[in-house]
Amino acid sequence: MGYQVTIEPLGHSIEVEEGQTILDASLRAGVYLPHACCHGLCGTCKVQVVSGEFDHGPASPFALMDVERDEGRCLACCATPTEDMVIEADIDEDPDARHLPLQDHLGRVAELVDLTPTIKGVFIDVAGDEVVFQAGQYVNLHLPGLEHPRAFSLSNQPRPGGRLELNVRHVPNGEGTTYVHRQLRVGDEVRISGPLGRFYVRKSDSQPVIFMAGGSGLSSPRSMILDMLETDADSRPITLIYGARNRAELYYHDLFLDLAMKHPNFRYVPALNEPTPACGWDGIKGFVHDAAKATFDNDFRGHKAYLCGPPVMIEACIRTLMQGRLFERDIYTEKFVTAGDGAQALARSPLFKNL
Amino acid sequence: MTDKTTAAAAPKKLSLKAKYAQLTRGLGWETTYQPPDKVFPQTHFEGIKIHDWEKWEDPFRLTMDAYWKYQAEKEKKLYAIIDAFQQNNGHLNVSDGRYVNTVKLFLTGISPEEYSAHRMFAMLGRNFAGVGPQIAAQMQSIDELRHAQTQIHTISQYNKYFNGMHDFRHMHDRVWYLSVPKSYFEDAMTAGPFEGIVAISFSFEYVLTNLIFMPFMSAAAYNGDMATVTFGFSAQSDESRHMTLGIECIKFLLEQDPGNVPIIQRWIDKWFWRGYRLLTLVSMMMDFMVPKKVMSWKEAWDMYFVQNGGALFRDLERYGLRMPKYWEQTVVAADRLSCEAWNTFYNYAAAANFNPWCPTAEDMDWMSQKYPGTFDKYYRPRFEHYRELEKQGKRFYNTTLPMLCQTCQIPLVFSEPDDPTQTCYRESDYNGMKYHFCSDGCKDIFDHEPEKYVQAWLPVHQIYQGNCFKPGTDPTAKDFNPLAAVLEYYNFGPGDNMDYAGSPDETNWLKWKGLAKSGPLKMAS
Repeated sequence: MGYQVTIEPLGHSIEVEEGQTILDASLRAGVYLPHACCHGLCGTCKVQVVSGEFDHGPASPFALMDVERDEGRCLACCATPTEDMVIEADIDEDPDARHLPLQDHLGRVAELVDLTPTIKGVFIDVAGDEVVFQAGQYVNLHLPGLEHPRAFSLSNQPRPGGRLELNVRHVPNGEGTTYVHRQLRVGDEVRISGPLGRFYVRKSDSQPVIFMAGGSGLSSPRSMILDMLETDADSRPITLIYGARNRAELYYHDLFLDLAMKHPNFRYVPALNEPTPACGWDGIKGFVHDAAKATFDNDFRGHKAYLCGPPVMIEACIRTLMQGRLFERDIYTEKFVTAGDGAQALARSPLFKNL
Repeated sequence: MTDKTTAAAAPKKLSLKAKYAQLTRGLGWETTYQPPDKVFPQTHFEGIKIHDWEKWEDPFRLTMDAYWKYQAEKEKKLYAIIDAFQQNNGHLNVSDGRYVNTVKLFLTGISPEEYSAHRMFAMLGRNFAGVGPQIAAQMQSIDELRHAQTQIHTISQYNKYFNGMHDFRHMHDRVWYLSVPKSYFEDAMTAGPFEGIVAISFSFEYVLTNLIFMPFMSAAAYNGDMATVTFGFSAQSDESRHMTLGIECIKFLLEQDPGNVPIIQRWIDKWFWRGYRLLTLVSMMMDFMVPKKVMSWKEAWDMYFVQNGGALFRDLERYGLRMPKYWEQTVVAADRLSCEAWNTFYNYAAAANFNPWCPTAEDMDWMSQKYPGTFDKYYRPRFEHYRELEKQGKRFYNTTLPMLCQTCQIPLVFSEPDDPTQTCYRESDYNGMKYHFCSDGCKDIFDHEPEKYVQAWLPVHQIYQGNCFKPGTDPTAKDFNPLAAVLEYYNFGPGDNMDYAGSPDETNWLKWKGLAKSGPLKMAS
């Protein structure tokens, strides 16, 4: 039995298990709250409770004084909800967040396309209200027989009447993606909840944009790029650096070549890290971060970067960007964590908030 | 302007961020009487390049009114507890009289450094050209002063009943082993402002502070010292700001200019090693001095440095930094450090302001369990030998003053990284003189800035040069006893030094607790 905790000013709701601390739950849900000692002594994670009952836990009387308790403050690292709560944290509001409410939808699989030997395009028509989302966000797809839903980014451009598109890479031993690849059929009914995530273009910032995508991590950037170029007619320089293993895995290649022809402000840089002779590839050989470093001559200053793909690719790209002088305030990521990645997650320090 | 518009503009409550912007508004003005370089003369010589001070983000955003309100509340609470502690004779509730020696170590070895930190941050607050770091450094300066004061007030209760603490300031500037923490902070204070903040806010507060506070405060809790636990909590509640400052300063410096990265790396290498050497004192406190043990030094080092520090440096790698040089040596030495340190204090029991002892059989069994690879093989035989000598009435005292490391000022008592049976000696030649070091880390630090470290005030050298006697002492007198003269210069009185066994502290403790062989219990039976 869990509780809903809404974190203001983000307006983001998270699920907190019985006995779980607010900090633990929010960090796991991808919402950063400032924190340091994690055991009630330092007070870094102090938040204001707007509503809801909770237990203070072992918060030190020096880190959280009586006057503060009376004013309804708590330490997120110790406090456990005993009912649904609303809290207010000292985190920055994001002018580009539309705070779209999460909704449940019923849809029907309209089309299934093999985009590559390992990635399937799943096209879904939604009955009733359409799914309103910000380009880059994802949805949870509920699959029959699976206890938890699976998260997939929306690859289509957000516009009225649009058919939803998911790009699903088959993960060996991954229950959800195996179901999509082996059992899902056109005409099947599926339940979707969304939109989710805070991966979207910060349009209020006017700097040129770099997208870095790996494998099926292309889905979000595809939606974001189409949205910028076609809906907004955005004229700032936009670069997509897209990496795949070989030519057969490089999908929507022609679409991006076309976009680059049509829009002089859009640059498309594909890279293959394991091209075979059969690929007939004369483009860049190497990983996404190698291609980015070469393309930008190791100087990324004055850009916003959006990274989407598997954790290893994201980490390599962050390092390359930072050593090329682009830092946390200008880097946004959407990690695709799959059944294959879980074990290698390493402990992180509080040095970075979002990366 | 009408009343109506004023009222309409007023009601919205400021967010913390907006309040902080108001607090620092206009403080970074353009100077006109003097060029900025002359107003902030120390911001260039270290080679650090700052292009935009505005990029300094203070995530803590504490405003002055909140600061005073919180600190006053903390003081009220702390002093209420100290009062209760004193009225209830709280000093009698600690686990054993031996425990008080850790309090002596804290008061003489750490509290004066809180005061040093207060001075240093006051200087940083003046020397940084940016408003964010000025405010953060000034607040920390006040915090550190508060820490020093509250620690002194708390420990004053112990000073009424136990020896070794009565002249802690005087001793801090003279006693041989106290030059280790003293020189550490003075090294930071006399560096430039950027090295100073990397040394203390990052390398010390952020990377190593848990290894000071956690062991002392947990030891206090385990051993019934509620007064120390309380000032520990009170001080630690300021740590969030201090650690945040550490993280913020390192990110800011690394992001401002790529040329800063190698400079910062060298400072991290240096201050990690200096901090680690300073923690030698903590290692022996954890493993030998607290009667009821919390965790071993090796366990603490593994948790706080290897794991937490490892995670931090994995993140810092993104900036192109690497783990501090010689960190592998600290992991290898974790099995030996506390034994090498406690052996030294046992040897020089005459010259420290607390009362050491030979570990009991129970203490040694705990060490065997915590250090299965090394304790029985290398150190137990030595301590058992000491014990045997004590039984025979031939307690071993080392009467030859040790060679000190020119950098960390600790005697050359550490073993070779690859051989626990060999003492590690390193040396460098500079201007025709030979300088000695305890380790590769300390030698590297000297070699980079020899002009600074040749000036070190090394207690042993100073004794041999005759600088550690009270005015009027005549070293040519027939009955001149140099050790006695040095102890007099330290303001040591009877019972401040020498073994715990037979000390006035032990005698009093047994009497107060009704445990003395010739005390009230015996008489009653």
